[in-house]
Amino acid sequence: MTDAFLIALGGVTEPYTLLLMAVATFAGIVAAAIPGFTITMAIVLTLPLTFAMPPMQGISIMLSVYVGGLSGGLFSAALLGIPGTPSSVATTFDAFPMARQGNPGKALSLGLFASFVGSIISIAVLIVAAPPLALLAVKLGPWEYFALIIFALTVIASLVGDSLIRGLIAGLIGIAIATIGPDPLMGRERFTFGFEILTAGIPFLVVLIGMYAMSQLLSELEPTKSSGQHSSGSLISGDMRPHLWQTVKDIVLKPANVIRSSLLGVFIGAVPGAGSSISNLLAYDQAKRASKHPETFGKGEPQGVVASESGNSSTVGGSLIPLIALGIPGSPADAVLMAAIMVHGISIGPRLILDHPDLVYSMFIAMAIASVFMLLIGIILMRVFLRLLNVPKYIIVPVVLTCCAIGTYTLNNRLSDLYLLACIGAVGYILKKLDYPLAPLVLGVVLGPIAETNLRRAFQTSTDWTLFFTRPISALLLTLAVVSVVYSIYSYVKQRRLIAQRLAATSN
Amino acid sequence: MERRNSETALIPALQVLSYFIIALGAVFMAFKAGSLPASRWEPMSAGTFPQIIFFGVALLCGVAAVVEISKQGFPRTSFNVAWRRLIALKAVIINLALFIIYMMFMPVAGFIVSTFLYLAIAQLYLAPKKPITLLIAIFVAALFSAGPYYLFSEVFNIYLPRAQW
Repeated sequence: MTDAFLIALGGVTEPYTLLLMAVATFAGIVAAAIPGFTITMAIVLTLPLTFAMPPMQGISIMLSVYVGGLSGGLFSAALLGIPGTPSSVATTFDAFPMARQGNPGKALSLGLFASFVGSIISIAVLIVAAPPLALLAVKLGPWEYFALIIFALTVIASLVGDSLIRGLIAGLIGIAIATIGPDPLMGRERFTFGFEILTAGIPFLVVLIGMYAMSQLLSELEPTKSSGQHSSGSLISGDMRPHLWQTVKDIVLKPANVIRSSLLGVFIGAVPGAGSSISNLLAYDQAKRASKHPETFGKGEPQGVVASESGNSSTVGGSLIPLIALGIPGSPADAVLMAAIMVHGISIGPRLILDHPDLVYSMFIAMAIASVFMLLIGIILMRVFLRLLNVPKYIIVPVVLTCCAIGTYTLNNRLSDLYLLACIGAVGYILKKLDYPLAPLVLGVVLGPIAETNLRRAFQTSTDWTLFFTRPISALLLTLAVVSVVYSIYSYVKQRRLIAQRLAATSN
Repeated sequence: MERRNSETALIPALQVLSYFIIALGAVFMAFKAGSLPASRWEPMSAGTFPQIIFFGVALLCGVAAVVEISKQGFPRTSFNVAWRRLIALKAVIINLALFIIYMMFMPVAGFIVSTFLYLAIAQLYLAPKKPITLLIAIFVAALFSAGPYYLFSEVFNIYLPRAQW
């Protein structure tokens, strides 16, 4: 164990790796700071650059982008008043008013320091929680695994969109896409219809790039009602000094807020589907409820910035718990990390921590180092980020679409993947316009083959299908899946009724 | 039952249409899955799991369509509204078309030429028409076409497509 830790420490702290990690953290912050460019997109586009690197270095770099990205949304939230990523919506509530009051430097340093503390707390929880969970998960059979994936899918579908049913349809379409090509157990060709392009199946990353990155970039070109409102001229200027001592005092002297928000973020991160966008809002809401002066929230309250930023940054550690312990990604960004580990020839699942402890330790260490980089780079280069927010859309969209094409091609050096990308991107955009959530679809593509493999293994072991309901953990997980669907329907109906009541009250 | 005008009914109408199309496709694929040969080594054949999934998709689409129609009636919209909405998405459609042409052109013209042309044309289409934007567009196109090519070939030993002529 100590050997593995020392190997990991040596690998991550090599000067060249540290330099690359610093660049990656910077890139993550920049990517998330630019409105319309998401963290997942940044991680996807980093992946091809890591193909030629050793696994430890490659994963460390991608985690640096992830950690940097979770705090990058703060810059556009505070300086433009628009969230750079969906995970910084609540940050705009107080960081923007604070910046408008002439304290943009303080708003940014508060957010950055809160993000740092949130990341460190989440890493601590990850280190404590993942190994025992993995040891438990090794004992799970195919029945439990299949039930776990069903549960994960229902949670994902119910959390990411307005409509549970469209979420479930999208999740199943994702699983269906994954069935194209050779079947996972016997290698029999399925649904290729004689097209050579489909013989190897549709690579998960091509689906992810097409569905997530391309559809999002195309949406950026749509005419907006408020177009012109957020022109580069609306960037805020003022006192850009970070006021570090005051910031540290604000956070350290009132630790309850940052600890509560971080733990909430870790918990939400660990639930599949509920990502940083939810934890950001929930942490803010909880801080407001717990505050003695809730009326100051929304008017530049420092505790609001602290809660929202520690809430979103701490999801990174939480979301890695199911990934490392069970091999199940909780969000599209984690799915890319999973794909990156698999591209380097390492199989992911509960045995990851037993077979490659050095890699898992390197992930913990890399995240801690990336958090420090995020804080330092963010504070030192605050003024540079101001300039970067000005990059116009007409440059970003075509350039990032080109990066999508590069990422897709370098994955397998196959030109046919480029045609698949164009098709999937177009379909993804149409589905997005029709309000189908794309996260369940992407996760369905990842989880589908795991579900099929375990279902078929279960039947190979025993033809008795009642085992899914009589084995306690499997039965518990399937029950939770049903509860998750029923609860989603109940809250949807309740929400509709409330809206109808409010509408009726206002019309009277 | 709420009444909706043809403007607000457009997306629900397209959603209902999408349920029908996806359900029909799923039923077709489910039958295709059923025709896959059975295995003598395992009780579940290669087609069983996809068949369950495709039938699941068809079932959910059916439920979604019934729920939508029973709740708010069949959404009525007009061709004019759809056309107007489509025209508003001109920038998206043209960029998507440019990207598809770029993907098809890359194997023939190679990465550098196709990327340069794509980036230059897409930026010039989207950018405000000023002399400075022309210069910026050409510079960005040159940087992001030759730059990644040499970065990948010299640093990572990965070769992006070369021209076929």
